[in-house]
Amino acid sequence: MKVGIIGVGFMGTTHASGWADTPAKIIGFTAETQKEAGALAKRYNAKVYQSLDDMLPDVDVVDICSPTHLHHEMILKAAATGKHIVCEKPLAHTTQEAREVVEACKKAGVQLLVAHVVRFFPEYALAQSAIANGQIGKPAVLRLHRGSYRPKKPAGNWFLDESKSGGILMDLMIHDYDYARWIAGDVETVSARRVTESHPDAPIDYGLVILGHKAGAISHIAGSWAYPPPTFITRFEIAGDRGLIEFDSDNTAPIHNLILKTGGSDAPDVGLPASPVSESPYTTQIKEFYAALADGRPTRVSATDGLASVQIAEAAIQSAQSGQPVQLSPLMEA
Amino acid sequence: MKIGILSFAHHHGEAYISNLRRMNSVELLGVADDDSARGEHLAKQYEARYFASYEALLEAKPDGVIICTENNRHLPLVEMAASRGVHVLCEKPIATTHADAKAIVDVCNKAGVILMTAFPMRFSAPLIEIKARLDNGDFGDVYCFNATNQGELPTKHRGWFVDPELAGGGAIMDHTVHLVDIMRWFTGSEVETMYARSNKIFHADEVQVETGALEMLTFRNNVFASIDASWCRPQYWPTWGGLTFEMVTQRGAVFVDAFRQNVNMYTHDAQRANWAYWGSDMNHAMVSEFASAIRENRAPKVTGVDGLRAVEATLAAYESIRSGQTVSVNKNSSHVTLF
Repeated sequence: MKVGIIGVGFMGTTHASGWADTPAKIIGFTAETQKEAGALAKRYNAKVYQSLDDMLPDVDVVDICSPTHLHHEMILKAAATGKHIVCEKPLAHTTQEAREVVEACKKAGVQLLVAHVVRFFPEYALAQSAIANGQIGKPAVLRLHRGSYRPKKPAGNWFLDESKSGGILMDLMIHDYDYARWIAGDVETVSARRVTESHPDAPIDYGLVILGHKAGAISHIAGSWAYPPPTFITRFEIAGDRGLIEFDSDNTAPIHNLILKTGGSDAPDVGLPASPVSESPYTTQIKEFYAALADGRPTRVSATDGLASVQIAEAAIQSAQSGQPVQLSPLMEA
Repeated sequence: MKIGILSFAHHHGEAYISNLRRMNSVELLGVADDDSARGEHLAKQYEARYFASYEALLEAKPDGVIICTENNRHLPLVEMAASRGVHVLCEKPIATTHADAKAIVDVCNKAGVILMTAFPMRFSAPLIEIKARLDNGDFGDVYCFNATNQGELPTKHRGWFVDPELAGGGAIMDHTVHLVDIMRWFTGSEVETMYARSNKIFHADEVQVETGALEMLTFRNNVFASIDASWCRPQYWPTWGGLTFEMVTQRGAVFVDAFRQNVNMYTHDAQRANWAYWGSDMNHAMVSEFASAIRENRAPKVTGVDGLRAVEATLAAYESIRSGQTVSVNKNSSHVTLF
């Protein structure tokens, strides 16, 4: 299996490391920043391509780790040439675009694997499995929390450009929309607020979203870009009629660093949880995707899941603007 | 100064006996309860004087009374006390309807008696600390709150807490008022809009009222907030529940867990984890404030209007659930000057 990776930022680098743990061969990279692509290509003995068009003839799988607003065009191109696709979340910038790429991949008969990596984090996977086994009964109230600092990307800063990333309600909180759906099923109403809507000049951002699930559960999703670097916090609390599961990354961190700092220390590009595990969840994810592509094994996240979470994110953005809840229209069949 | 307790329908009535007993220059006049079996039993247990009727207690000329009936039965006792010039500390929520809440405020205002709402969180040491720092400008502007007031099904205290008529609702009626009051206190602003969604999955076969609820509200000063008011804690949770909020500001965020001051206990007897609270007793501080307000002839730190505003926001949550929309809250209300 020959893989071409688009994007050489944090995600492109992380995916490459995952692919390196599978029998697949990384053929090459393409990115707007050719210099960083060169260094990464060298590490994996791969090529640097000038464009996706140049790369497509040489690969079986395209792994898209580019900024969100570029996903749509790239997926359509890859699908048109019969290539399977792995795509970072959010699948697309709008529901319409997400719908188009899902349909295009279905028509082309290629797999579209959306990298909702939270489903591969062991604590989230454990909770899902316990709930699927009925250990807490029927889920009733879910609380999901994800918090960090405002992303600072030196190159291009596309995270902070809302027209490209979709902002906090899209880019950060989509992880937990997806997880809420995994636990409690399809969503019918979305109500949201966010700080930069009520206070456009705020130096931080923070979003609150309430989801109403068709099956009756309600979810509270909080996303923060308000904390000091290098904070990265995740929490969940899932209460059912026969029990409750809670998790807090702070309380379960096995290592607490009380080492004195020397000199001025700067925060990394993206804050990450400091709870070491023997295999990165990103690698677990790529391995599962590899097995799906190589042997047709099932994956825990479908293309429709990718579409559904974009639909929730878009509704959240709309609700935060209008102040009213948004009713979701049914998605097409998977 | 003499203070009486009217009804033990609310279990806080028992705690208030202990609070009053530990206060200097305050005398527990006695207790009255329309459930005479319950009243006599508890009067005996706490060695308090038992009055055969509310009127009898009020005839004994208390300076103030603490009203601990079911949520929907406050008004007649407030009227009875106010008409005799007796000051009132009323359990929360002060009423289950807007008309009753308004009447409670008006009758005390007209009679010139103090009306205080039993919002103990105003006397929580951690919350007072945060409020002081907020007022000092340490956090800059407040943008939003992410708040929870979660508990177990309260039926182990009293069955009426899940009675739609006597309690006026379920988890929303029980829990919303505390956080609405805290946020009004912190922001100095009134609730403008409310959205809520609820369900009845916890204890589905045991009760008729909502047991799970999430709310999203906005304030007139542009602050927004969410409240989780659910009765989601299982009976074997290490404590009764709790109240938390994250306050997001210009300078970051502050997490507050008002009941975090516990020691973790694991005993052969309990056979489960138990969080034993060692933080300060906010009920005691609240009852002390009631006595001080009476003594100093001034408005208490938390008034009947605060109780009324919290009820308005709570009723708006039910209205939102019925309509499926974000609804406006007390558009025309302005601060009533009380006493």
